[in-house]
Amino acid sequence: MPSGRDRATAVVLGIALPLAGLVALEIASRNGWANPTFLPPPTAILATFWGIIASGSFIGPLAQTLLLLFTGYGIGCVAAIVLGILMGSSRPVFNLFEPLTELLRPLPKPALLPALILFLGLGARMEITIVALGCFFPVLINTIQGVRAVEPTMINTARTFGHGTMAIWRRILLPASAPYILAGMRISLGLGLILVVTAEMIAGSGGLGDSILSAQRTFLVKESYAWLVVLALLGLLLTWLFTWVERRLAFWNAPQAQ
Amino acid sequence: MSVVTNFRPRKTGGAAGAPVAGSRLLVDQIGKSFLGPDGGAISAIGSVSLDVAPGEFLAIVGPSGCGKSTLLQVIAGLMMPSSGKVRLGEQDVTGEPAHMVYLFQQYSKSLLPWMTVANNVMFAFNHRLKLSNAAAKSRCRDYLAMVGLADFGNHYPWQLSGGMQQRVAIARALAAEPQVLLMDEPFSSVDALTRLDLHSLILDLWGQKRFTAVLVTHDVDEAIFLADRVAVLTHRPATISEVIETKLPRPRHSIETRESPEFLALRHRLLKYLLARNQDGAHA
Repeated sequence: MPSGRDRATAVVLGIALPLAGLVALEIASRNGWANPTFLPPPTAILATFWGIIASGSFIGPLAQTLLLLFTGYGIGCVAAIVLGILMGSSRPVFNLFEPLTELLRPLPKPALLPALILFLGLGARMEITIVALGCFFPVLINTIQGVRAVEPTMINTARTFGHGTMAIWRRILLPASAPYILAGMRISLGLGLILVVTAEMIAGSGGLGDSILSAQRTFLVKESYAWLVVLALLGLLLTWLFTWVERRLAFWNAPQAQ
Repeated sequence: MSVVTNFRPRKTGGAAGAPVAGSRLLVDQIGKSFLGPDGGAISAIGSVSLDVAPGEFLAIVGPSGCGKSTLLQVIAGLMMPSSGKVRLGEQDVTGEPAHMVYLFQQYSKSLLPWMTVANNVMFAFNHRLKLSNAAAKSRCRDYLAMVGLADFGNHYPWQLSGGMQQRVAIARALAAEPQVLLMDEPFSSVDALTRLDLHSLILDLWGQKRFTAVLVTHDVDEAIFLADRVAVLTHRPATISEVIETKLPRPRHSIETRESPEFLALRHRLLKYLLARNQDGAHA
């Protein structure tokens, strides 16, 4: 375990670099070395950011982005876990779906946006669908791997006590592959955030992505950056939250448990 | 956390235990072959027949890789035989039967790490019995107490020592109250002293509960010490070459029984037999 002193040093070092960068930007912008129209001083962006927070005007776009993100994320993850357990535990099911998933998986998901807009329009349905599609594949791949890594002894243990197929799914395969599934869900959460913001920029019907782009288009450059700060903080918060959830759901996979 | 179990020699296995209930276990000309890498069939078990009386303790010894575990898994209904059949009482065993439980060699892979010790034990019976929470907990506690772990219900398996984990696995297997307990080298992955301790424990529990016990092992001493009869398996494809009655008095004692002339004579006979067989196998 690092001592308190080591940790304090780590925090100071970690903050030093971004802080130095901000100071450099501040000086560059104030002295006109960088075009202040494109790059306002960080203190001015901070003031605008504070305005967005204090007025509460961040709540609408943030809530919309979070709602779309979690809806798409939830649909994508659940579908991927169900198909992943099927593909991981049954060779025929794997053979049936594998070529299709391998074809769709490497496809950059934003490339699907034009087609999705044709079918689903520019609203929430399209945005949720693209997030769900993007979140689906990393969870699917990890779930298949996780199910295949389950100890046959664990499954035989359930069988010798007379547990049926559904119980083996729920009480053995799902928890045993949880560390793999959660690792996939971590990747998907990052992807989901990228996709929801991209989709919002294209759809232009609200959300953080729309706020960033609209502000930039109307030459509210400081506002555009301030929304970017909101987005960065959201990303950080989601990562922390996920780590917290992961530790609780796969606690038995921690090093001390091995 | 790691706790080492205390080793203490003790009297084990009452000769006058609970009355024997249950059904005869019949293994009728079981054969098992697998598909080899070249597409041909590899025979693991030739033809094995066994007749195990209710409440009997049978040990099956054989060289490693002779198909002992495969045989036990077929008996347990975890694997289908290629030929022959297994009967428990009047019923053919075609899947996992309700009255047989398999105790695995690798307790660390058999105990579920996301469940507490108590929940692991409950996993053995509560899907069938559907007891209230309090009743299920009390039953868990009873069985954990039998293996000396009454106070460890809220621990996770990985917080316990290897010997304690195998005790939990034993408690869990018995909590299902099987007529037949099938043991696949359950004492081979613990240290020597813990092994002696677990031998005494299993004889104690067998004396109390009077289940039919079938133990597969490569340890001749263990087989003689525990069993009423010892069946000797040959190399692949496994067949039974000899069945020896131990006729050692019960209760058996950790030290005295193992030093008795009768024990040593049996040991001599079995080892000589296995070693000769082993050389035949090596030359074959």
